Amino acid sequence: MQSLLRLSGLIDTVNRKVGVGVGWLILVMTIVSALNATSRKLFSASSNAFLEIQWYLFAAVFLLAAGYTLLSNEHVRVDIVNTRLPSRLRLWVELLCTALFLLPFALLVLYYGWPYFMLSFSSSEWSLNAGGLILWPVKLLIPAGFLLLFLQGVSQLIKLAAALSGRLEAGPLLDRHSVQEDEVAAVLSRQSGDGGDR
Amino acid sequence: MTAWLIEYIGPLMFAGLVLFLLIGYPVAFALAAIGLLFGVIGIQLGLLHPELLQALPQRIFGIMQNDTLLAIPFFTFMGLVLERSGMAEDLLDTLGQLFGTLRGGLAYSVVFVGALLAATTGVVAASVIAMGLISLPIMLRYGYDKRLATGVIAASGTLAQIIPPSLVLIVMADQLGKSIGDLYRGALVPGLMLMAMYAAYVMLVSIFKPSAAPALPASARTLHGKALFRRVLFSLIPPVVLIFLVLGTIFLGVATPTEGGAMGACGALVLAALRRRLSLKVLRQSMDTTAKLSCFIMFILIGSTVFGLVFRGVNGDLWVEHLLTGLPGGAIGFLIVVNVMVFLLAFFLDYFELAFIIVPLLAPVAEKLGIDLVWFGVLLSVNMQTSFLHPPFGFALFYLRSVAPKSVKTSDIYRGAVPFLCIQLFMVGLLIAFPQLATVGPRDLDAAPTVRLDVPVSNDFESAPTVFEVRPQDLDNYWGPATTGEGPNREKP
Repeated sequence: MQSLLRLSGLIDTVNRKVGVGVGWLILVMTIVSALNATSRKLFSASSNAFLEIQWYLFAAVFLLAAGYTLLSNEHVRVDIVNTRLPSRLRLWVELLCTALFLLPFALLVLYYGWPYFMLSFSSSEWSLNAGGLILWPVKLLIPAGFLLLFLQGVSQLIKLAAALSGRLEAGPLLDRHSVQEDEVAAVLSRQSGDGGDR
Repeated sequence: MTAWLIEYIGPLMFAGLVLFLLIGYPVAFALAAIGLLFGVIGIQLGLLHPELLQALPQRIFGIMQNDTLLAIPFFTFMGLVLERSGMAEDLLDTLGQLFGTLRGGLAYSVVFVGALLAATTGVVAASVIAMGLISLPIMLRYGYDKRLATGVIAASGTLAQIIPPSLVLIVMADQLGKSIGDLYRGALVPGLMLMAMYAAYVMLVSIFKPSAAPALPASARTLHGKALFRRVLFSLIPPVVLIFLVLGTIFLGVATPTEGGAMGACGALVLAALRRRLSLKVLRQSMDTTAKLSCFIMFILIGSTVFGLVFRGVNGDLWVEHLLTGLPGGAIGFLIVVNVMVFLLAFFLDYFELAFIIVPLLAPVAEKLGIDLVWFGVLLSVNMQTSFLHPPFGFALFYLRSVAPKSVKTSDIYRGAVPFLCIQLFMVGLLIAFPQLATVGPRDLDAAPTVRLDVPVSNDFESAPTVFEVRPQDLDNYWGPATTGEGPNREKP
């Protein structure tokens, strides 16, 4: 169990690093898009490469952040029944759903996504648009993102099993709405004085 | 048994979905799981091609290329940067200073700030929490009725769902196959009307029950004359200008929504920096939340695509169509039933689930009945706004509960929401009676993002077409000017 928990910790670290890293791509894509819009208006100069890089970056953000989002428990849920159940039962529900919903789905996309990428890679496929970009790196994002998601699923399973056997606290695994808590903390820290994060 | 299963596989799949969703596992994966489960059953029954699931990466790739949804991260990022740099507090404080000494003045300023925040961010949670933490204590201290105070905060927070640039409308545009600009223009008048009606309600209360919305004593105003003027100049004007620039350029067709969002986000960064509030922490938090929010929205779309692929494969869409076109009263009967259904579903599903699961089922039927899809989208968006206000599960109420002082009872928050729910329903009724509210003004004629041509490829099958993206200007060469924005073979979503 200890080595499994170490594995889980390792996966968490990887996904956290990747998630925080791809966050910066948001800033990059914002700047790229704004520059493209400006050059289109001012100099009537725009290219398909500029347009394509935007959705390449966005695809990278949301696919590679999938594991991180799962780790942070930010994938939306319908909470009405679930939050009323005893926490042990909730852990079981979580465990079974991860094993039966998430992992098979991620595996299936991986299974079909890899040949889909390989086909593009081996033929060095380029975008059909004039001046477009090379396509295989963006197709690689599909198996990469779902691999991260799959790994995070495994890590969640380990933690859930550990929580059920009493080796880990259940609380953090079931907590919801952390964004909301962030928001409250942010507002309060600004209210409570001009220190805070100004 | 098999024949029975084939006959009822559509309804069974839908029932299964409701069950899976209620378990409380993330919606994206519950959708995908039910899709896969019934995909396997369908293949066993011979209803589906075994290659169906193989088309999954192709489908995901299609979602990655989606131009419409690219606007989501930009507007989210813009809103979060403004929010995290303390805009809401400054606005509330400034407007409170300006209007506080009027009867009901604090409530008006909440409505107004709600609308302003709505016009910068599509995130309900942030608005409700900020207003709940800042305005609610002041309102209570000066004797506002608890129900009025909480109701107006929760309702004004949900304006973010309907006033452009709301995320909801972007998703709706994508699901209906319309341009974002069209939905923004369509939602503008109803959104402003809602704001006006909230304010009118506050006015009625302050007239008939003055003790519920008292004026603040003059001593509560801390800024006067020049200081107040400077405050207005520096905290009120810049965000308002930014909003007008972003929405204005989109409405005038100068910028696409994606470009407008990106420029707006850059503008928000500049504003925050000018006010010396752009710390690394603010930047990091904003990027982090944007990444997670985009991720969960896009994954619901991926999940609902898996679900939809199989659901259509087993003819579930025909079942829905049959159910809804057979209603008495034609288009009006359909609209009423759909709105009642959405209102009820909104009790336990929230916006993104409704938009991604229900809308693709309804849109083809609406189109067949000759209903204008932009109007239909705006109508559903106003209706779905109630999903935040429904006791006991509405998110806005939930957020407000978490920040409201103990002296406010949960039942006060629930009752406070009721008048605003009524206003919301009234607006739905108005929209059904007067479609012009959402359809006035020009439509995007040439700004249709891309026209998709589905070309079946040899030994492929219908549900996995190869998609070639064609931009309108390319179409000109083939079919003359794309005056209607709709070339031949325009794909329905």
